[in-house]
Amino acid sequence: MGIKVTIWSLTDKAPDSERKPLEPILKTENLWKLYHAGKVEVPALRGVNFDVLPGESVAVMGPSGCGKSSLLYVIGGLARASRGKVLVDGNDLTAMGDAERTKLRRSKIGFVFQRFNLLPTLTARGNIAIAQYIHGDGYDPHRFDVVTKMLGLEGRLHHRPSEMSGGEQQRVAIARAIINEPKILLADEPTGNLDTKNSDIVLEMLRRLNKDLGQTIVMITHNPEATTYCDRVVHMRDGIIVDGVPAD
Amino acid sequence: MMWQLVLRNLSHRPMRTLIGVMAVAVEVALVILIVGLTSGILQETAKRLEGIGADIMVQSPAAQMLITFSGSPMPIKIADKLAELKYVQAVAPALLQFNSTGGVETVWGIDAKSFRDVSSGFVFFQGHDFQGPDDILVDDWQAKAKHVKVGDTYHLFNHEWTVAGVVEHGKGARLFVPLATLQDLVGAHDKASIFLVKCTHPDHTEDVIAEIKDLLPNHPVRPLKEFMTLMTSTNIPGLQTFIDAMIALAVSIGLLVIFLTMYTTVLERTRDIGVLKSLGASKVLIVRALLAETTLLCVLGIAAGVGLSYLVRAGFLALFPTLSILITTEWVLRAGLIALVGAVLGASYPAWLASRKDPVEALSYD
Repeated sequence: MGIKVTIWSLTDKAPDSERKPLEPILKTENLWKLYHAGKVEVPALRGVNFDVLPGESVAVMGPSGCGKSSLLYVIGGLARASRGKVLVDGNDLTAMGDAERTKLRRSKIGFVFQRFNLLPTLTARGNIAIAQYIHGDGYDPHRFDVVTKMLGLEGRLHHRPSEMSGGEQQRVAIARAIINEPKILLADEPTGNLDTKNSDIVLEMLRRLNKDLGQTIVMITHNPEATTYCDRVVHMRDGIIVDGVPAD
Repeated sequence: MMWQLVLRNLSHRPMRTLIGVMAVAVEVALVILIVGLTSGILQETAKRLEGIGADIMVQSPAAQMLITFSGSPMPIKIADKLAELKYVQAVAPALLQFNSTGGVETVWGIDAKSFRDVSSGFVFFQGHDFQGPDDILVDDWQAKAKHVKVGDTYHLFNHEWTVAGVVEHGKGARLFVPLATLQDLVGAHDKASIFLVKCTHPDHTEDVIAEIKDLLPNHPVRPLKEFMTLMTSTNIPGLQTFIDAMIALAVSIGLLVIFLTMYTTVLERTRDIGVLKSLGASKVLIVRALLAETTLLCVLGIAAGVGLSYLVRAGFLALFPTLSILITTEWVLRAGLIALVGAVLGASYPAWLASRKDPVEALSYD
């Protein structure tokens, strides 16, 4: 793509990857998540210990029902942990109420979902701008242009999700997720609904975000190819992390 | 951005939006028309009473209302006693009979001479005063509405009348018949429903009222020049309750439709709500978005309701030219406010539900 602009230059902020991090940007300690099915407690996470350094990209793999999505929702502040700790940029999510977690999610987390989850009534532009609106900074045209150019969306901004391909929708979702410069980008099966060509495009975009801009990424995936775009692969089974090995 | 989202959401489901708008419109139109119809009839009646030219109206003790539609007859001899009072120039008895056949109207049985004495007479557009016992005088609005002219036969109270004259409106009633004939027809011999009193000078009105109250202690005695101010729904027993009940019914309909509309909206947008929450939208923001949508829908409904009110009024007046529907700015604003409050109340619970949705469950909603 050859685009040299960076999001970070807009806010006079050095990329996190250029800093010398002392602490993980994301850390879980003995993290448990229990769901209730009637009177029965079903553990989705059973003492997960998991660190992610700033600027790192981590793929989380495992069979269906192993707790990957639960992990993503808990570290993203969408669900409350039952036990243990979740530290995001030094903030303990488990000690926070719903409103505080919402605030933290607004400022530090970006989500990309398998089913894109764009608002169907809004255009691509609206879907990205609404994230800026919720963030509270209002519409920043410069930042908006940088992000949409980087993701190759300039010509599709006036289209609604129903008028775009899956790949385009997922790129809009990525733009929405990074428009507010989150500390961590959490992607839940981002290529799960895409064909091979569009999967490659989306994965390449995520890789560029990580390598060029230092965006920390945690990606849940079943796609073995996706793991080759990440620094590290973590395997889960039965609610725990069973290993953590470098991809190459 | 908020309004862009609201507008897009409303235009996304045009039929649902239209139903919501129409529900509010009907609610607003009902309020405006019910109030307009009652106040229109009251004011028009008051104007007609004031227009008689008499100074005082004496009613029967049994007359509970400011306006007497029918009955409550008193001995006609009271007229002679009233005429003897100081400062009284003339007294005219009238027997009022309500008719609901072929329209809703109160027919006045009058004695032509005494009525002329208190009212300075009719202005005739056609014809002349009573010349026979079966003559009827019709005011110009009624003549136009019923397409009658002098010499025509007019059917009323199972009796055939001959239209003797078409008079200018605004003299108490729209139909006048000879007092004696009406007394015979309704079996109220030597009876009258009201007495109209003309004072020697308007300044003596209060003195005459005091005298009449001494003479007839239990009879309602009212100065006619104050009828416009007295003729309000709050002064008519039961009428205000009726209006309030109708308004409550209209508001309930609007509230329930808005509730249902917004409830289904929230159900349909469960996933979208999850998305907004994943982006960090607070509960307040989600409530605000839904209430803003309701407000806009309601404003459109209010505008449509005001338009509908004028349309219905035009239709009614075309069908019933003698009807009076008074649409006032005050009640247009009140109806709008009532609809808005009802709509916001109706949307509050769905909005609250939306704000409390679990984001994970919402995101997995199909």
